[in-house]
Amino acid sequence: MPLQNAVADALNNSEWVFALAECVHIGGFAVAIGSIALVDFRMLNLGLRRATAARILRDTELWTVVALLFVMFSGVALFLSQVDIYRVNLIFPIKMYVLAAALIYNFTVHRRVATMENPPPFVSKLVAMVSLLLWVSVVFGGIFTGFLV
Amino acid sequence: MPTAHSIQSIDFLTAFSESVLAYPIVLSIHLTCIALFGGMILATDLRLLGVAFKGLTITEVVTSLRAWKRIGGTIMIAMGLLLAASEAEKYAPNPFFWTKMIILGLIGVHALIFRPIVYNKTEELDRSPVIPTKAKVAAILSLVLWTSMFVMGRLIAYWD
Repeated sequence: MPLQNAVADALNNSEWVFALAECVHIGGFAVAIGSIALVDFRMLNLGLRRATAARILRDTELWTVVALLFVMFSGVALFLSQVDIYRVNLIFPIKMYVLAAALIYNFTVHRRVATMENPPPFVSKLVAMVSLLLWVSVVFGGIFTGFLV
Repeated sequence: MPTAHSIQSIDFLTAFSESVLAYPIVLSIHLTCIALFGGMILATDLRLLGVAFKGLTITEVVTSLRAWKRIGGTIMIAMGLLLAASEAEKYAPNPFFWTKMIILGLIGVHALIFRPIVYNKTEELDRSPVIPTKAKVAAILSLVLWTSMFVMGRLIAYWD
């Protein structure tokens, strides 16, 4: 694939480009997961308690989406630069499945409950904890992917 | 390097760096702190810049996130020190590591300077019709310093 080769070449010829992609990836997930965490903490009745979860979600949603785009674009670039290594890595596919679950969950169940007017506290807390668990698992998956190389 | 060698030779740390799982787990916790508490630092800084969470007062944002940022920061630094101590010989000559430590020191200086005039004076900031420049300077410096932290952190592995 020409695109794959072009991206791979760019990233492999210049080590700093690869490092840059990684930094974009990290900065991106700090903003993305961090903004989701603000909503989750509120759903656990912690953190920004003066606002409603719905309000925090509305205020952070754009940040989350844009940051996720940066994460995924840089992720694709990193993947394309070493496809063969990622293909045989045992942890990487797990990370991708968990990421998919986290993304779907975030924009369906999580969003639904976060924007509810008066959600039962138990439901809010459970949904928030699952959200945090999924995203933290993606982070762990990322590190362990690297350690299995 | 005798000092670095004697640090990482402490039994507990030797076992730690030799354990296949311990190092990546600690590193993952370190990164998880960035993920969970990075958003809180960002929220505080953006509020001080008047760019986000305008529906909440500066006092509300700063005080409600304060404890969590401290907990997160403590865990993050503890995990970081554990990582460095267990690989002291590798980290000792690494310029990225030391740059990161200097930046961490600058973050401490940032706190010393801005806590008494910004972070502990949020009511005054809220009363002001326009957010005072000192608050915006604090926020921008905070964003620059923390971004530099994770960039340097990532570059540590690139040093040969």
